Amino acid sequence: MLTGLGTLGASGVGADRLAEALAAGRPVSREVDRSAGYHPPEGARRACLMPAVQLGSWLSAGEARRMSPPSKLAVAAARMALRCAGLPGTQEEATAVVVATAFGPSTNTEVLLKQILCEGPESASPSLFMESVANAPAAQIAIAARARGPSLTVCQREAGPLLALGRAAGEVARGRARRALAGSVDEMTPLLHALLDRFGALARPGADGQEAARPFDRRRNGFLAGEGATMVVLESEEALRERGGRALARVLGWGSAFDLTAPVTGWGRGAGTLARGLLRTLRRAGFEPGDVDLVVSGASGSRTGDLLEAQVLREAWGKIPLPPIVAPKSVTGEYGGGLLGAAVLAAAGSAFGPTAGFEETDPELGIVPHDGSPLPPPEIVLVTSLAAGGAAAWLVLGRA
Amino acid sequence: MSEAVATPARIKRLIVESLNLEGMRPEMIEDETPLFGEGLGLDSVDALELVVALEKEFGIRIRSQEIGREVFSSVSTLSQFIEGRT
Amino acid sequence: MQRGEGTGAVRRVAVSGVGAVCGMGWGVASLWEGLRAGRPAFAPLRRFDPSRHRTRLAAEVGEPPAHLSRAIPGWRRLSIADRFAVFAAGEAVERAGLAFPYPSPDEVGVYFGSSTGGMYESELFFADLLRGRRRLRLSALASQQVNGPGDAVARHLGVAGPVETLSSACASGALALAAALDAVRCGEVEVAIAGGADSLCQLTYAGFNSLRSVDEAPCRPFRAGRAGMSFGEGAAVLVLEPLERVLARGTEPLAELAGAGASCDAHHMTAPDPAGTGAAAAVEAALADAGLAPEAVDFVNAHGTGTPLNDAAEWRALQQVFGERSREIPLVATKALVGHLLGCSGALEAVATILCLRYGELHPASNGAEGYEADPDVPVSLVTGEPLPLPDARTAVSTSLAFGGSNAALVFSRWMDRAA
Repeated sequence: MLTGLGTLGASGVGADRLAEALAAGRPVSREVDRSAGYHPPEGARRACLMPAVQLGSWLSAGEARRMSPPSKLAVAAARMALRCAGLPGTQEEATAVVVATAFGPSTNTEVLLKQILCEGPESASPSLFMESVANAPAAQIAIAARARGPSLTVCQREAGPLLALGRAAGEVARGRARRALAGSVDEMTPLLHALLDRFGALARPGADGQEAARPFDRRRNGFLAGEGATMVVLESEEALRERGGRALARVLGWGSAFDLTAPVTGWGRGAGTLARGLLRTLRRAGFEPGDVDLVVSGASGSRTGDLLEAQVLREAWGKIPLPPIVAPKSVTGEYGGGLLGAAVLAAAGSAFGPTAGFEETDPELGIVPHDGSPLPPPEIVLVTSLAAGGAAAWLVLGRA
Repeated sequence: MSEAVATPARIKRLIVESLNLEGMRPEMIEDETPLFGEGLGLDSVDALELVVALEKEFGIRIRSQEIGREVFSSVSTLSQFIEGRT
Repeated sequence: MQRGEGTGAVRRVAVSGVGAVCGMGWGVASLWEGLRAGRPAFAPLRRFDPSRHRTRLAAEVGEPPAHLSRAIPGWRRLSIADRFAVFAAGEAVERAGLAFPYPSPDEVGVYFGSSTGGMYESELFFADLLRGRRRLRLSALASQQVNGPGDAVARHLGVAGPVETLSSACASGALALAAALDAVRCGEVEVAIAGGADSLCQLTYAGFNSLRSVDEAPCRPFRAGRAGMSFGEGAAVLVLEPLERVLARGTEPLAELAGAGASCDAHHMTAPDPAGTGAAAAVEAALADAGLAPEAVDFVNAHGTGTPLNDAAEWRALQQVFGERSREIPLVATKALVGHLLGCSGALEAVATILCLRYGELHPASNGAEGYEADPDVPVSLVTGEPLPLPDARTAVSTSLAFGGSNAALVFSRWMDRAA
C-alpha cells in the first residue's frame, strides 16, 4: 500500500504544486547557467530546474550543513512523504530505504574532481567525498528517519525510479520490512546539462526558438532535463490496518527487462523483448492489457526513446485499443522523480491536462497522448520507463 | 601584525569557511572553546576537513597520527601545534 | 500486495558458476592460488601517478590475457570496470555449463554492484575538460555511470530479463547477490548473473585518503596497530539458479546461497555504529532467511577492512550474534590479500567464501612473513599464517558493512551430494 508522497521539482515544493502543473499541462523550465563555457553554441539552454527553495521546514541547518544537494532534496521528500502518510518522522520499526539516482550527487563529484585534478589529490575534501557517493541520499534518509531496515540505492538511469519502487515493494511483500521509503532523486548541474546536450539527448530550440519536450510528437527532438526528488511511503496492508491509516494507491506489480540492441547512451530496437517484459509484468500481477485504464508513460520527447516506447505499447496491446496515455515528463522533465510523483497522483485520481508540447501525431508512432479531457479515476494504472542503455521497468498501481 | 597574533585568527576563519558554519563569525569562537563534543560540536569528518584547510593555509603536512583530541581540542592547542610546525 | 508468488517451501538456490579478476590475477584459479598462499597482492600504483596521493599502494589488476581483446566483441570501447565484469561473467557462465546466447534470454537477469563504474575513464575526460581542451572524446564518458559494468555484462551475454545495478558503496556486491537470490527464488528469472565490478580511480583513492581511512602499508584487518584499508579492484560474478535445474543438467553446484539479510546503521555517513547492532541485525536476518541458527555457522568471511573503527564494530557485531563462540569462530579476512574492492567487494568475498567451503580450507590473511600482533580489544580467531583445514565446514557467513551504514550478510552452504 502506498500511503505517502513527498515531491520537489521544477514546479515547486509539494505534491500540490506538481498536481497543479500536471492538471494545467504546463512545463516549468528555466535558463541553465552556461557561463562556465561547457555548453555547445546553438545547444539546449533550458531545463526543468528547481526554483530556489527554503527547505528549513524539512531540514535543520545542522543536518543540512554538509549534505549534498540531492541528499537535502531526498531527506525533505522523505519527511514530506512520512508527514503525508500521517507517520512520525522517526521510525520505530525496521523501515527499508530504496532510492534511485541516475547521476548521483553531481555537484559534489564535479567539485571533488576539480580539487583532485587541478589542485592535487591532497586538496580533496572529505565532507564533499562522503556526500559524493551514489548512496549518500539513501544514507541520509536512513539517518534522518532512523530507518534501520535494508538500505539500497538503484542506479539504472531512467528506469531507476520504477526499479526502486519494485525493490521496496518486494522488501515489504516478503516481510523483510513492514514499511519502506522509496523514490528517486537527481540534480541537474550545468556541466551535466551540457554533456547530455553533447550526447544529443536534449531538446534544442526549434524554428520558433522554443525548447520543449514533445512526447510522441512528430517534431520531438529530445527531452528537457529535470531535477528534484520524489519519495513515497510503502506499507504492508496489515501494518496500515493496525495503525488505521489511509492509502493513496496500491502497488499491484512490478517488473523489468533489457533491450540488448540499445547503444550505451541511447535506445534500441528491441520492442519485442520489451513488450514481452511489459506483458509479463502485467500478467504476474494478474492483469491483461485490456484491464489497464491509464498508462503513465515515461515518454520524454526523445526521438528514439519515444519511438521505442510507442512500439512497445502497440506490440503489447496488439489489436486491443490503447487506453489514455499521459506523458508527465512533458511537464516535469527527465530525472528527479517527476514520473513517479505523477504516477502516484494519477492512481490517486489526479487530473491531467493536455500533453504539453504535443501538437502533431507522428505517423511512425501512431500514439496520441492525452488531450486533457476529463478522465474517470483509473482502477489500474501502468507506469512505464525505458532507460538509455537498454534497461526497462514497469509498475502497476491500483486505486486505494 | 606578528605571526603569534595572526595564527588563531587565521584558524578561526578557516573553521568558519571550510566547515560551512552558517551564522557563525570567526570572532565568535574563543581561543579555548572546545571544538568537539560540547562547544562547537564538530565531528571527526569536520576535523579532517579542517586538516585539509590547515595544510593548504599553512603549507604543512599533517600526519594521520597527529589528528587527535589533544592537538584539535581548541583553537589555542591547534595554534600551538601549527606554530611548532611552521 | 500480491505478486503471484508461490506459498510453498522456499526454492533452494545453487551457485553453478563463479568468475573473478582481481589483484591476484585473471580467473578464479589465480584467485584461489593467491588466497591459499596468503600472498598480499599490493604493489605501488601504476594506473595513475600516486605521488601526490597520501598513500601509494593498491592490489591492481595486471594486463589481461592477450586473447581477450579478440575474444570479447567491443573490447576497446569497454571501460576497465566493464572489461573486468565481462571477463568474470564469461568465466562464471562457462563453469556453470550454460551456453550463451541463452535459448530463452527473457529468463536471465543481471544483478550487479559497483561504486564507480567507468569513473577512471571519465577522469581522463574531466582532466581534459578542466584544462580547457577544445577537442573532447565524449566516448570516454559513455560508460561513466555506475550501471556500466552490469549493462555491459547483459549486452555481452544477450540477457533480456531484468538488469539492475545497485550502488550502496561497500555493500553493493552483496546486495546485488541478495537481489539475485530473491529473483531466482520467486521465479522472476531462471538464471541470475550476479556480482560486482569496480576499478581504481583517483576520485575514490583521494577520497578515502582525505578521510584518512587508508593505511600506507598493506592493511592488517583485526590486528593491533591497524591503520586503515588498502585498495583493490576487479570483478566477481556468480551464476545463481534453482538447485533442481542445475542438478537436472548434470552440473555440480559449487555451493548454495542459503540466505541473505540487510540492514542500515542509520548512525553516521562514514563511521560505523560502534555497537555493531546494525551489522548484527543483518547477519541475524540472513541466518533467519536461511533457516539456520548461529550455531550452524562454521566460519565467517569478515568485512574486515583494517580500519580501527570497522574491525572494532564488526567484533561487537560478532559478539552479539555468536555470543561465547565469537572468540573461537574462524574469521577469514580476504581484504588483507586483495584489498577493498569497494562495490565489488561483497561479490569477490562471496567467491572466496565459496572456494573455502568447496576446498574445505580457510585461506589465511597473510603467509606469516609479517609479525602482526593480535589486538586484545578485538579477540577474534583470525585465520593467518597458513590455510586452516576445515573439511567438515558446511555453512559460512560473509559480511559487508558499508560506508553510509548499509549492511549486508550472505549465508553460503557447502554443496553436499544428495546421494551422501
